[in-house]
Amino acid sequence: MSGQKNSRARGLAIFFLVLPLILFLVSLTVGSYGISPHGLFKTILSVVSPASHPDVPSAHRDILLRIRLPRILLAMAVGAALSVSGASLQALFKNPLVNEYILGISSGAAFGAALSLVFLGRAFPPQIAGFVFAVVAVGAVLLISGKAESHFITLLLTGIIVTAFFSALLSLVEFFASPYVLQALFFWLMGSLSLASWKDLYISLPLIAIGVVVLFLLRWRLNVLSMSDEEARSLGVNVLREKILVIAATTLITAAATAIVGIIGWLGFIVPHLVRMMFGADNRRVVPVSAAVGASLMMIADDIIRGVSSFEIPIGIFTSLVGIPVFLVLLKKSRKVWL
Amino acid sequence: MSIRVSNLKFAYPKFSLRVEELAFESAKVTAIVGPNGAGKTTLLKCLGAVLPIPKGSLFIEGRDLASLRSRERARLVCYVPQEHDTTFNYAVSDFVLMGRASYISPFALPSEEDAKAAAEALAFVGLAHYADRFISELSSGERRLVLIARALAQQSDILLMDEPTTFLDPKHETEVFQLVRKLAVEKMKTILVTLHSLEMAVQHSDEMVFMKGGEVVASGKSAEVFEDSLLERVYDMKMKIIDWEGRKLVLR
Repeated sequence: MSGQKNSRARGLAIFFLVLPLILFLVSLTVGSYGISPHGLFKTILSVVSPASHPDVPSAHRDILLRIRLPRILLAMAVGAALSVSGASLQALFKNPLVNEYILGISSGAAFGAALSLVFLGRAFPPQIAGFVFAVVAVGAVLLISGKAESHFITLLLTGIIVTAFFSALLSLVEFFASPYVLQALFFWLMGSLSLASWKDLYISLPLIAIGVVVLFLLRWRLNVLSMSDEEARSLGVNVLREKILVIAATTLITAAATAIVGIIGWLGFIVPHLVRMMFGADNRRVVPVSAAVGASLMMIADDIIRGVSSFEIPIGIFTSLVGIPVFLVLLKKSRKVWL
Repeated sequence: MSIRVSNLKFAYPKFSLRVEELAFESAKVTAIVGPNGAGKTTLLKCLGAVLPIPKGSLFIEGRDLASLRSRERARLVCYVPQEHDTTFNYAVSDFVLMGRASYISPFALPSEEDAKAAAEALAFVGLAHYADRFISELSSGERRLVLIARALAQQSDILLMDEPTTFLDPKHETEVFQLVRKLAVEKMKTILVTLHSLEMAVQHSDEMVFMKGGEVVASGKSAEVFEDSLLERVYDMKMKIIDWEGRKLVLR
Protein backbone atom coordinates (compact mmCIF):
# COMPACT_ATOMS: atom_id res chain seq x y z
CA MET A 1 0.00 0.00 0.00
CA SER A 2 1.28 3.43 -0.79
CA GLY A 3 1.70 5.99 1.99
CA GLN A 4 -1.47 7.87 1.04
CA LYS A 5 -3.47 4.67 0.81
CA ASN A 6 -2.03 3.53 4.11
CA SER A 7 -2.95 6.72 5.96
CA ARG A 8 -6.46 6.57 4.50
CA ALA A 9 -6.78 2.99 5.76
CA ARG A 10 -5.50 4.09 9.17
CA GLY A 11 -8.07 6.90 9.29
CA LEU A 12 -10.85 4.50 8.34
CA ALA A 13 -9.69 2.04 11.00
CA ILE A 14 -9.76 4.77 13.67
CA PHE A 15 -13.28 5.72 12.54
CA PHE A 16 -14.48 2.14 12.95
CA LEU A 17 -12.78 1.80 16.32
CA VAL A 18 -14.49 4.97 17.64
CA LEU A 19 -17.90 4.16 16.09
CA PRO A 20 -19.01 1.69 18.84
CA LEU A 21 -18.57 4.38 21.51
CA ILE A 22 -20.79 6.81 19.58
CA LEU A 23 -23.37 4.11 18.87
CA PHE A 24 -23.31 3.09 22.51
CA LEU A 25 -24.46 6.56 23.58
CA VAL A 26 -27.00 6.79 20.73
CA SER A 27 -28.39 3.35 21.61
CA LEU A 28 -29.07 4.45 25.18
CA THR A 29 -31.58 6.99 23.84
CA VAL A 30 -33.37 4.54 21.52
CA GLY A 31 -36.36 2.50 22.59
CA SER A 32 -40.12 2.47 22.98
CA TYR A 33 -39.72 4.97 25.81
CA GLY A 34 -37.82 7.84 24.21
CA ILE A 35 -35.07 9.58 26.14
CA SER A 36 -33.62 12.70 24.49
CA PRO A 37 -29.81 13.21 24.37
CA HIS A 38 -30.24 15.97 26.93
CA GLY A 39 -32.37 13.69 29.10
CA LEU A 40 -29.75 10.95 28.76
CA PHE A 41 -27.02 13.33 29.88
CA LYS A 42 -29.06 14.40 32.90
CA THR A 43 -29.95 10.80 33.76
CA ILE A 44 -26.29 9.76 33.64
CA LEU A 45 -25.42 12.69 35.95
CA SER A 46 -28.24 11.73 38.30
CA VAL A 47 -26.89 8.16 38.46
CA VAL A 48 -23.46 9.48 39.39
CA SER A 49 -24.84 12.00 41.88
CA PRO A 50 -28.57 11.45 42.68
CA ALA A 51 -28.83 14.58 44.84
CA SER A 52 -27.68 16.94 42.09
CA HIS A 53 -30.58 16.14 39.72
CA PRO A 54 -33.69 15.44 41.77
CA ASP A 55 -35.93 16.27 38.77
CA VAL A 56 -34.89 13.18 36.79
CA PRO A 57 -37.67 10.58 37.05
CA SER A 58 -36.57 7.34 38.69
CA ALA A 59 -38.15 5.49 35.73
CA HIS A 60 -35.43 6.96 33.50
CA ARG A 61 -32.73 5.60 35.76
CA ASP A 62 -34.41 2.19 35.90
CA ILE A 63 -34.82 2.01 32.12
CA LEU A 64 -31.24 3.05 31.60
CA LEU A 65 -29.56 0.90 34.22
CA ARG A 66 -31.73 -2.18 34.38
CA ILE A 67 -32.94 -2.56 30.82
CA ARG A 68 -30.94 -0.64 28.24
CA LEU A 69 -27.41 -0.73 29.66
CA PRO A 70 -27.16 -4.52 30.08
CA ARG A 71 -28.84 -5.05 26.73
CA ILE A 72 -26.53 -2.66 24.85
CA LEU A 73 -23.43 -3.98 26.60
CA LEU A 74 -24.50 -7.47 25.65
CA ALA A 75 -25.11 -6.43 22.04
CA MET A 76 -21.63 -4.88 21.89
CA ALA A 77 -19.91 -7.82 23.52
CA VAL A 78 -21.67 -10.48 21.47
CA GLY A 79 -21.24 -8.59 18.19
CA ALA A 80 -17.55 -8.00 18.82
CA ALA A 81 -16.87 -11.49 20.10
CA LEU A 82 -18.65 -13.39 17.33
CA SER A 83 -16.89 -11.27 14.69
CA VAL A 84 -13.45 -11.84 16.22
CA SER A 85 -14.27 -15.53 16.53
CA GLY A 86 -15.34 -15.68 12.87
CA ALA A 87 -12.20 -13.90 11.65
CA SER A 88 -10.02 -16.26 13.69
CA LEU A 89 -11.73 -19.42 12.50
CA GLN A 90 -11.54 -18.31 8.88
CA ALA A 91 -7.79 -17.68 9.21
CA LEU A 92 -7.15 -20.88 11.14
CA PHE A 93 -8.96 -23.08 8.62
CA LYS A 94 -7.53 -21.12 5.68
CA ASN A 95 -11.04 -20.79 4.37
CA PRO A 96 -13.30 -17.74 4.38
CA LEU A 97 -16.41 -19.95 4.39
CA VAL A 98 -15.70 -21.55 7.74
CA ASN A 99 -17.79 -20.40 10.68
CA GLU A 100 -18.99 -21.64 14.04
CA TYR A 101 -21.99 -23.40 12.42
CA ILE A 102 -19.96 -25.48 10.02
CA LEU A 103 -17.79 -26.60 12.90
CA GLY A 104 -20.83 -27.57 14.96
CA ILE A 105 -19.92 -25.15 17.77
CA SER A 106 -23.24 -23.27 17.68
CA SER A 107 -25.42 -26.39 17.73
CA GLY A 108 -23.38 -27.99 20.52
CA ALA A 109 -23.56 -24.79 22.59
CA ALA A 110 -27.30 -24.40 21.96
CA PHE A 111 -28.02 -28.00 22.98
CA GLY A 112 -25.86 -27.74 26.12
CA ALA A 113 -27.43 -24.46 27.21
CA ALA A 114 -30.97 -25.74 26.52
CA LEU A 115 -30.27 -28.96 28.41
CA SER A 116 -29.05 -26.95 31.36
CA LEU A 117 -32.00 -24.53 31.27
CA VAL A 118 -34.61 -27.28 31.10
CA PHE A 119 -33.19 -29.74 33.61
CA LEU A 120 -31.14 -27.55 35.95
CA GLY A 121 -33.13 -24.31 35.76
CA ARG A 122 -31.91 -20.74 35.40
CA ALA A 123 -30.08 -20.85 38.73
CA PHE A 124 -27.36 -22.98 37.15
CA PRO A 125 -25.26 -21.11 34.55
CA PRO A 126 -26.12 -22.50 31.09
CA GLN A 127 -22.70 -21.34 29.85
CA ILE A 128 -20.97 -24.35 31.41
CA ALA A 129 -23.03 -27.06 29.70
CA GLY A 130 -23.00 -24.93 26.53
CA PHE A 131 -19.20 -24.88 26.51
CA VAL A 132 -18.89 -28.60 27.29
CA PHE A 133 -21.18 -29.66 24.45
CA ALA A 134 -19.70 -27.09 22.06
CA VAL A 135 -16.30 -28.69 22.70
CA VAL A 136 -17.83 -32.15 22.14
CA ALA A 137 -19.41 -30.98 18.87
CA VAL A 138 -16.34 -29.26 17.42
CA GLY A 139 -14.13 -32.12 18.60
CA ALA A 140 -16.40 -34.60 16.83
CA VAL A 141 -16.40 -32.56 13.61
CA LEU A 142 -12.62 -32.22 13.55
CA LEU A 143 -11.90 -35.82 14.50
CA ILE A 144 -14.36 -37.29 12.00
CA SER A 145 -13.41 -34.99 9.12
CA GLY A 146 -9.68 -35.56 9.65
CA LYS A 147 -7.41 -33.32 7.65
CA ALA A 148 -9.97 -30.62 6.96
CA GLU A 149 -7.53 -28.24 5.37
CA SER A 150 -7.37 -30.20 2.16
CA HIS A 151 -10.93 -31.57 2.29
CA PHE A 152 -13.27 -28.69 2.92
CA ILE A 153 -16.27 -30.61 1.58
CA THR A 154 -15.62 -33.36 4.14
CA LEU A 155 -15.47 -30.74 6.89
CA LEU A 156 -18.69 -29.17 5.61
CA LEU A 157 -20.57 -32.48 5.44
CA THR A 158 -19.33 -33.58 8.86
CA GLY A 159 -20.41 -30.24 10.29
CA ILE A 160 -23.88 -30.61 8.78
CA ILE A 161 -24.23 -34.12 10.19
CA VAL A 162 -23.00 -33.19 13.68
CA THR A 163 -25.25 -30.09 13.66
CA ALA A 164 -28.22 -32.28 12.65
CA PHE A 165 -27.37 -34.68 15.48
CA PHE A 166 -27.27 -31.92 18.09
CA SER A 167 -30.43 -30.36 16.63
CA ALA A 168 -32.16 -33.72 17.15
CA LEU A 169 -30.90 -33.80 20.74
CA LEU A 170 -32.17 -30.25 21.18
CA SER A 171 -35.63 -31.31 19.91
CA LEU A 172 -35.56 -34.10 22.48
CA VAL A 173 -34.85 -31.56 25.22
CA GLU A 174 -37.70 -29.39 23.93
CA PHE A 175 -39.98 -32.44 24.00
CA PHE A 176 -39.38 -32.82 27.74
CA ALA A 177 -39.65 -29.10 28.51
CA SER A 178 -42.76 -27.64 30.13
CA PRO A 179 -44.89 -25.37 27.87
CA TYR A 180 -43.68 -22.25 29.70
CA VAL A 181 -39.99 -23.16 29.39
CA LEU A 182 -40.55 -24.29 25.80
CA GLN A 183 -41.83 -20.84 24.84
CA ALA A 184 -38.77 -19.18 26.38
CA LEU A 185 -36.49 -21.71 24.71
CA PHE A 186 -38.10 -21.12 21.35
CA PHE A 187 -37.61 -17.36 21.56
CA TRP A 188 -34.08 -17.67 22.91
CA LEU A 189 -33.00 -20.07 20.15
CA MET A 190 -33.97 -17.55 17.49
CA GLY A 191 -31.42 -15.19 18.97
CA SER A 192 -32.69 -12.51 21.30
CA LEU A 193 -31.23 -9.77 23.45
CA SER A 194 -34.51 -9.16 25.26
CA LEU A 195 -33.63 -11.53 28.09
CA ALA A 196 -30.44 -9.62 28.90
CA SER A 197 -29.91 -9.16 32.61
CA TRP A 198 -26.94 -8.12 34.73
CA LYS A 199 -26.78 -11.64 36.20
CA ASP A 200 -26.25 -13.18 32.75
CA LEU A 201 -23.72 -10.51 31.91
CA TYR A 202 -21.69 -11.15 35.06
CA ILE A 203 -21.17 -14.74 33.96
CA SER A 204 -20.88 -14.39 30.20
CA LEU A 205 -18.91 -11.15 29.86
CA PRO A 206 -15.74 -12.41 31.61
CA LEU A 207 -15.83 -15.61 29.54
CA ILE A 208 -16.31 -13.65 26.32
CA ALA A 209 -13.55 -11.26 27.37
CA ILE A 210 -11.08 -14.12 27.98
CA GLY A 211 -11.76 -15.53 24.50
CA VAL A 212 -11.52 -12.14 22.80
CA VAL A 213 -8.31 -11.16 24.61
CA VAL A 214 -6.65 -14.47 23.68
CA LEU A 215 -7.60 -14.05 20.01
CA PHE A 216 -6.61 -10.38 20.04
CA LEU A 217 -3.15 -11.28 21.34
CA LEU A 218 -2.85 -14.05 18.75
CA ARG A 219 -3.87 -11.76 15.88
CA TRP A 220 -0.51 -11.67 14.09
CA ARG A 221 -0.01 -15.36 14.71
CA LEU A 222 -3.31 -15.95 12.87
CA ASN A 223 -1.56 -14.69 9.73
CA VAL A 224 1.02 -17.45 10.08
CA LEU A 225 -1.64 -20.03 10.96
CA SER A 226 -3.51 -19.08 7.78
CA MET A 227 -0.65 -20.57 5.77
CA SER A 228 -0.79 -24.33 5.02
CA ASP A 229 -0.01 -26.48 8.07
CA GLU A 230 3.27 -27.54 6.48
CA GLU A 231 4.30 -23.94 5.90
CA ALA A 232 3.30 -22.90 9.41
CA ARG A 233 5.27 -25.79 10.89
CA SER A 234 8.30 -24.89 8.81
CA LEU A 235 8.00 -21.29 10.01
CA GLY A 236 8.36 -22.51 13.60
CA VAL A 237 4.75 -22.77 14.76
CA ASN A 238 3.56 -25.57 17.02
CA VAL A 239 0.50 -25.98 14.80
CA LEU A 240 -1.50 -28.44 16.90
CA ARG A 241 -1.05 -26.51 20.16
CA GLU A 242 -1.95 -23.17 18.62
CA LYS A 243 -4.92 -24.60 16.71
CA ILE A 244 -6.31 -26.00 19.97
CA LEU A 245 -5.81 -22.60 21.62
CA VAL A 246 -7.70 -20.73 18.88
CA ILE A 247 -10.53 -23.30 18.76
CA ALA A 248 -10.83 -23.25 22.57
CA ALA A 249 -11.07 -19.45 22.59
CA THR A 250 -13.67 -19.33 19.80
CA THR A 251 -15.67 -22.14 21.42
CA LEU A 252 -15.66 -20.30 24.75
CA ILE A 253 -16.91 -17.14 23.04
CA THR A 254 -19.67 -18.91 21.13
CA ALA A 255 -20.81 -20.93 24.17
CA ALA A 256 -20.86 -17.87 26.45
CA ALA A 257 -22.74 -15.81 23.86
CA THR A 258 -25.19 -18.55 22.81
CA ALA A 259 -26.09 -19.32 26.42
CA ILE A 260 -27.65 -15.89 26.89
CA VAL A 261 -28.63 -14.63 23.44
CA GLY A 262 -29.23 -17.85 21.51
CA ILE A 263 -27.96 -18.24 17.97
CA ILE A 264 -26.97 -14.99 16.24
CA GLY A 265 -26.42 -16.09 12.69
CA TRP A 266 -24.18 -14.69 9.97
CA LEU A 267 -22.66 -11.82 11.90
CA GLY A 268 -19.37 -13.58 12.65
CA PHE A 269 -19.33 -14.77 9.07
CA ILE A 270 -19.92 -11.49 7.27
CA VAL A 271 -18.07 -8.94 9.38
CA PRO A 272 -14.54 -10.32 8.73
CA HIS A 273 -15.33 -10.33 4.98
CA LEU A 274 -16.36 -6.68 5.06
CA VAL A 275 -13.25 -5.77 7.03
CA ARG A 276 -10.89 -7.72 4.75
CA MET A 277 -12.40 -6.00 1.72
CA MET A 278 -11.59 -2.62 3.25
CA PHE A 279 -8.26 -3.33 4.96
CA GLY A 280 -6.71 -6.41 3.36
CA ALA A 281 -6.05 -9.76 4.96
CA ASP A 282 -3.59 -8.81 7.73
CA ASN A 283 -5.21 -10.01 10.95
CA ARG A 284 -3.40 -7.35 12.96
CA ARG A 285 -6.08 -5.05 11.54
CA VAL A 286 -8.82 -7.54 10.71
CA VAL A 287 -9.25 -8.75 14.31
CA PRO A 288 -9.63 -5.40 16.14
CA VAL A 289 -11.62 -3.72 13.35
CA SER A 290 -13.92 -6.79 13.10
CA ALA A 291 -14.59 -6.45 16.82
CA ALA A 292 -15.54 -2.79 16.38
CA VAL A 293 -17.64 -3.36 13.25
CA GLY A 294 -19.35 -6.41 14.80
CA ALA A 295 -20.23 -4.45 17.96
CA SER A 296 -21.50 -1.53 15.86
CA LEU A 297 -23.65 -3.67 13.56
CA MET A 298 -25.16 -5.51 16.50
CA MET A 299 -26.05 -2.24 18.21
CA ILE A 300 -27.53 -0.81 15.00
CA ALA A 301 -29.58 -3.99 14.49
CA ASP A 302 -30.82 -3.85 18.07
CA ASP A 303 -31.61 -0.13 17.78
CA ILE A 304 -33.73 -0.83 14.70
CA ILE A 305 -35.54 -3.64 16.50
CA ARG A 306 -36.18 -1.52 19.61
CA GLY A 307 -36.77 1.79 17.90
CA VAL A 308 -38.59 1.05 14.65
CA SER A 309 -40.78 -1.98 15.15
CA SER A 310 -43.55 -1.99 17.72
CA PHE A 311 -42.97 -5.67 18.43
CA GLU A 312 -39.65 -7.36 19.12
CA ILE A 313 -38.16 -9.36 16.24
CA PRO A 314 -35.51 -11.79 17.53
CA ILE A 315 -32.16 -10.30 16.53
CA GLY A 316 -30.88 -13.66 15.23
CA ILE A 317 -33.61 -13.65 12.58
CA PHE A 318 -32.84 -10.01 11.80
CA THR A 319 -29.09 -10.59 11.34
CA SER A 320 -29.77 -13.60 9.11
CA LEU A 321 -32.36 -11.78 6.99
CA VAL A 322 -30.07 -8.80 6.48
CA GLY A 323 -26.79 -10.69 6.51
CA ILE A 324 -27.47 -13.36 3.91
CA PRO A 325 -28.40 -10.96 1.03
CA VAL A 326 -25.42 -8.76 1.93
CA PHE A 327 -23.17 -11.79 1.85
CA LEU A 328 -24.53 -12.86 -1.54
CA VAL A 329 -23.88 -9.40 -2.98
CA LEU A 330 -20.35 -9.42 -1.55
CA LEU A 331 -19.76 -12.90 -2.89
CA LYS A 332 -20.78 -11.79 -6.37
CA LYS A 333 -18.62 -8.68 -6.29
CA SER A 334 -15.68 -10.29 -4.60
CA ARG A 335 -12.58 -11.29 -6.47
CA LYS A 336 -11.62 -14.94 -6.65
CA VAL A 337 -8.87 -14.38 -4.11
CA TRP A 338 -10.35 -13.54 -0.72
CA LEU A 339 -9.03 -10.34 0.69
CA MET B 1 25.65 -26.18 8.69
CA SER B 2 25.97 -29.86 7.94
CA ILE B 3 23.12 -32.37 7.86
CA ARG B 4 23.48 -36.06 8.64
CA VAL B 5 20.73 -38.58 7.96
CA SER B 6 20.89 -41.95 9.69
CA ASN B 7 18.36 -44.68 9.06
CA LEU B 8 15.49 -42.31 8.27
CA LYS B 9 12.13 -43.93 7.62
CA PHE B 10 8.79 -42.39 6.75
CA ALA B 11 5.72 -44.14 5.36
CA TYR B 12 2.56 -43.00 3.62
CA PRO B 13 -0.15 -45.65 3.07
CA LYS B 14 1.19 -46.51 -0.39
CA PHE B 15 4.75 -45.22 -0.27
CA SER B 16 7.69 -45.43 2.08
CA LEU B 17 10.95 -43.52 2.28
CA ARG B 18 14.07 -45.28 3.54
CA VAL B 19 17.41 -43.52 3.72
CA GLU B 20 20.19 -45.37 5.53
CA GLU B 21 23.06 -42.88 5.50
CA LEU B 22 23.31 -39.49 3.81
CA ALA B 23 25.20 -36.31 4.55
CA PHE B 24 25.00 -32.77 3.17
CA GLU B 25 27.90 -30.39 3.38
CA SER B 26 27.79 -26.86 4.65
CA ALA B 27 27.41 -23.91 2.24
CA LYS B 28 26.87 -26.18 -0.78
CA VAL B 29 24.03 -26.55 -3.24
CA THR B 30 22.75 -30.12 -3.49
CA ALA B 31 20.26 -31.15 -6.15
CA ILE B 32 17.94 -34.04 -5.37
CA VAL B 33 16.73 -35.66 -8.59
CA GLY B 34 14.76 -38.70 -9.61
CA PRO B 35 11.55 -39.73 -11.40
CA ASN B 36 8.07 -38.78 -10.19
CA GLY B 37 7.21 -40.62 -6.99
CA ALA B 38 10.88 -41.24 -6.12
CA GLY B 39 10.43 -39.56 -2.74
CA LYS B 40 12.31 -36.29 -3.37
CA THR B 41 9.71 -34.02 -1.79
CA THR B 42 9.08 -36.49 1.05
CA LEU B 43 12.81 -36.50 1.83
CA LEU B 44 12.87 -32.72 1.75
CA LYS B 45 9.85 -32.46 4.07
CA CYS B 46 11.43 -34.97 6.46
CA LEU B 47 14.67 -32.98 6.47
CA GLY B 48 12.66 -29.90 7.41
CA ALA B 49 10.67 -31.90 10.01
CA VAL B 50 7.54 -30.70 8.23
CA LEU B 51 6.59 -34.38 8.31
CA PRO B 52 6.99 -36.22 11.63
CA ILE B 53 10.38 -37.91 11.86
CA PRO B 54 11.57 -40.46 14.41
CA LYS B 55 14.17 -39.40 16.96
CA GLY B 56 17.76 -40.26 16.18
CA SER B 57 17.37 -40.19 12.41
CA LEU B 58 18.30 -36.63 11.46
CA PHE B 59 21.08 -34.48 12.88
CA ILE B 60 21.99 -30.87 12.13
CA GLU B 61 25.42 -29.95 13.46
CA GLY B 62 25.06 -32.97 15.73
CA ARG B 63 21.68 -31.88 17.15
CA ASP B 64 18.79 -34.32 16.80
CA LEU B 65 16.13 -32.40 14.83
CA ALA B 66 13.22 -34.46 16.21
CA SER B 67 14.11 -33.45 19.78
CA LEU B 68 14.04 -29.72 19.10
CA ARG B 69 11.11 -27.42 19.76
CA SER B 70 9.29 -25.97 16.74
CA ARG B 71 10.88 -22.53 16.98
CA GLU B 72 14.41 -23.90 17.57
CA ARG B 73 14.07 -26.16 14.57
CA ALA B 74 12.79 -23.32 12.36
CA ARG B 75 15.90 -21.28 13.14
CA LEU B 76 18.07 -24.10 11.81
CA VAL B 77 16.17 -25.31 8.79
CA CYS B 78 13.51 -23.90 6.48
CA TYR B 79 11.33 -25.72 3.98
CA VAL B 80 10.36 -23.60 0.97
CA PRO B 81 7.24 -25.00 -0.72
CA GLN B 82 6.85 -25.12 -4.46
CA GLU B 83 3.89 -22.73 -4.58
CA HIS B 84 1.88 -20.76 -2.08
CA ASP B 85 -1.89 -21.06 -2.12
CA THR B 86 -3.19 -17.51 -1.85
CA THR B 87 -6.43 -18.08 0.05
CA PHE B 88 -5.88 -14.80 1.85
CA ASN B 89 -4.26 -12.06 -0.13
CA TYR B 90 -1.50 -10.56 2.00
CA ALA B 91 0.71 -7.66 1.06
CA VAL B 92 4.17 -8.89 0.03
CA SER B 93 5.83 -7.22 3.05
CA ASP B 94 3.34 -8.86 5.45
CA PHE B 95 3.92 -12.20 3.77
CA VAL B 96 7.71 -12.03 4.07
CA LEU B 97 7.36 -10.89 7.69
CA MET B 98 5.84 -14.28 8.51
CA GLY B 99 9.35 -15.69 8.12
CA ARG B 100 10.05 -14.15 11.53
CA ALA B 101 7.49 -16.34 13.33
CA SER B 102 10.12 -18.42 15.13
CA TYR B 103 11.55 -15.27 16.74
CA ILE B 104 8.20 -13.90 17.94
CA SER B 105 6.08 -15.18 20.83
CA PRO B 106 2.64 -16.42 19.70
CA PHE B 107 1.06 -13.60 21.73
CA ALA B 108 3.30 -10.81 20.44
CA LEU B 109 3.53 -8.64 17.34
CA PRO B 110 6.60 -8.35 15.09
CA SER B 111 9.09 -5.71 16.21
CA GLU B 112 10.87 -3.04 14.15
CA GLU B 113 13.83 -5.42 13.95
CA ASP B 114 11.62 -8.12 12.47
CA ALA B 115 10.26 -5.67 9.90
CA LYS B 116 13.84 -4.67 9.05
CA ALA B 117 14.94 -8.30 8.61
CA ALA B 118 11.95 -8.91 6.33
CA ALA B 119 12.69 -5.79 4.28
CA GLU B 120 16.34 -6.84 3.88
CA ALA B 121 15.29 -10.30 2.75
CA LEU B 122 12.95 -8.81 0.17
CA ALA B 123 15.72 -6.50 -1.06
CA PHE B 124 18.12 -9.46 -1.37
CA VAL B 125 15.83 -11.18 -3.86
CA GLY B 126 15.45 -7.88 -5.73
CA LEU B 127 11.80 -7.24 -4.94
CA ALA B 128 12.02 -4.34 -2.45
CA HIS B 129 9.79 -2.26 -4.71
CA TYR B 130 7.04 -4.89 -4.46
CA ALA B 131 6.69 -4.59 -0.67
CA ASP B 132 3.26 -2.94 -0.81
CA ARG B 133 1.83 -5.06 -3.60
CA PHE B 134 -0.49 -7.97 -2.94
CA ILE B 135 0.64 -11.56 -3.48
CA SER B 136 -2.13 -12.13 -6.03
CA GLU B 137 -0.70 -9.34 -8.22
CA LEU B 138 2.63 -11.13 -8.70
CA SER B 139 3.67 -13.49 -11.47
CA SER B 140 4.49 -17.10 -10.70
CA GLY B 141 8.23 -16.35 -10.85
CA GLU B 142 7.91 -13.36 -8.54
CA ARG B 143 5.96 -15.46 -6.05
CA ARG B 144 8.81 -17.98 -5.95
CA LEU B 145 11.19 -15.16 -5.14
CA VAL B 146 8.86 -13.92 -2.39
CA LEU B 147 8.79 -17.44 -0.92
CA ILE B 148 12.59 -17.43 -0.94
CA ALA B 149 12.58 -13.97 0.69
CA ARG B 150 10.34 -15.29 3.47
CA ALA B 151 12.78 -18.16 3.96
CA LEU B 152 15.65 -15.65 4.14
CA ALA B 153 13.80 -13.62 6.76
CA GLN B 154 13.69 -16.84 8.80
CA GLN B 155 17.52 -16.68 8.90
CA SER B 156 17.98 -20.44 9.10
CA ASP B 157 21.25 -21.72 7.66
CA ILE B 158 19.66 -24.58 5.77
CA LEU B 159 17.16 -24.01 2.97
CA LEU B 160 15.14 -26.88 1.52
CA MET B 161 13.62 -25.80 -1.78
CA ASP B 162 10.95 -27.94 -3.36
CA GLU B 163 11.12 -27.63 -7.14
CA PRO B 164 11.75 -23.86 -7.06
CA THR B 165 11.76 -23.54 -10.85
CA THR B 166 8.86 -25.72 -12.01
CA PHE B 167 6.59 -23.93 -14.50
CA LEU B 168 8.99 -20.99 -14.79
CA ASP B 169 10.22 -19.72 -18.14
CA PRO B 170 13.97 -20.07 -18.90
CA LYS B 171 14.74 -16.47 -17.87
CA HIS B 172 13.09 -16.74 -14.45
CA GLU B 173 14.48 -20.25 -14.03
CA THR B 174 18.01 -18.90 -14.49
CA GLU B 175 17.32 -15.99 -12.13
CA VAL B 176 16.21 -18.36 -9.38
CA PHE B 177 19.34 -20.48 -9.80
CA GLN B 178 21.56 -17.40 -9.74
CA LEU B 179 19.89 -16.43 -6.50
CA VAL B 180 20.38 -19.91 -5.07
CA ARG B 181 24.10 -19.73 -5.87
CA LYS B 182 24.34 -16.25 -4.38
CA LEU B 183 22.75 -17.53 -1.17
CA ALA B 184 25.29 -20.34 -0.89
CA VAL B 185 28.27 -18.09 -1.65
CA GLU B 186 27.34 -14.83 0.09
CA LYS B 187 25.16 -16.06 2.95
CA MET B 188 26.86 -19.45 3.42
CA LYS B 189 23.52 -21.25 3.25
CA THR B 190 23.36 -25.02 2.88
CA ILE B 191 20.82 -25.49 0.10
CA LEU B 192 18.97 -28.58 -1.03
CA VAL B 193 16.77 -28.36 -4.11
CA THR B 194 14.54 -30.98 -5.67
CA LEU B 195 14.55 -30.71 -9.45
CA HIS B 196 13.26 -32.37 -12.59
CA SER B 197 15.61 -30.68 -15.05
CA LEU B 198 18.79 -32.77 -15.06
CA GLU B 199 20.74 -30.18 -17.07
CA MET B 200 19.88 -27.46 -14.56
CA ALA B 201 20.66 -29.77 -11.67
CA VAL B 202 24.15 -30.66 -12.85
CA GLN B 203 24.92 -27.11 -13.95
CA HIS B 204 23.90 -25.36 -10.75
CA SER B 205 24.65 -27.85 -7.98
CA ASP B 206 27.83 -28.87 -6.17
CA GLU B 207 26.46 -32.26 -5.21
CA MET B 208 23.66 -34.49 -6.44
CA VAL B 209 21.45 -37.12 -4.83
CA PHE B 210 19.65 -39.59 -7.10
CA MET B 211 16.48 -41.18 -5.75
CA LYS B 212 14.19 -43.94 -6.94
CA GLY B 213 11.35 -45.84 -5.22
CA GLY B 214 11.85 -44.05 -1.90
CA GLU B 215 15.57 -44.86 -1.67
CA VAL B 216 18.82 -43.08 -2.46
CA VAL B 217 20.43 -44.74 -5.47
CA ALA B 218 23.57 -42.63 -5.64
CA SER B 219 25.05 -39.42 -4.29
CA GLY B 220 28.25 -37.43 -4.71
CA LYS B 221 29.88 -34.49 -6.44
CA SER B 222 27.75 -33.48 -9.41
CA ALA B 223 30.61 -33.60 -11.93
CA GLU B 224 31.60 -37.10 -10.83
CA VAL B 225 28.30 -38.86 -10.24
CA PHE B 226 26.44 -37.60 -13.34
CA GLU B 227 26.82 -40.53 -15.76
CA ASP B 228 24.79 -42.18 -18.55
CA SER B 229 24.54 -45.52 -16.80
CA LEU B 230 23.24 -43.98 -13.58
CA LEU B 231 20.60 -41.93 -15.41
CA GLU B 232 19.42 -45.01 -17.30
CA ARG B 233 19.19 -46.96 -14.04
CA VAL B 234 17.26 -44.22 -12.24
CA TYR B 235 14.87 -43.26 -15.05
CA ASP B 236 14.51 -46.67 -16.74
CA MET B 237 15.12 -45.24 -20.20
CA LYS B 238 17.99 -44.73 -22.58
CA MET B 239 19.82 -41.47 -21.94
CA LYS B 240 23.05 -39.98 -23.21
CA ILE B 241 25.05 -37.14 -21.72
CA ILE B 242 26.94 -34.88 -24.12
CA ASP B 243 29.31 -32.01 -23.38
CA TRP B 244 28.56 -28.72 -25.13
CA GLU B 245 30.81 -25.72 -24.41
CA GLY B 246 31.52 -26.98 -20.90
CA ARG B 247 27.89 -27.75 -20.16
CA LYS B 248 26.31 -31.17 -19.88
CA LEU B 249 23.20 -31.85 -21.94
CA VAL B 250 21.05 -34.94 -21.72
CA LEU B 251 19.78 -36.60 -24.90
CA ARG B 252 16.85 -38.99 -24.62
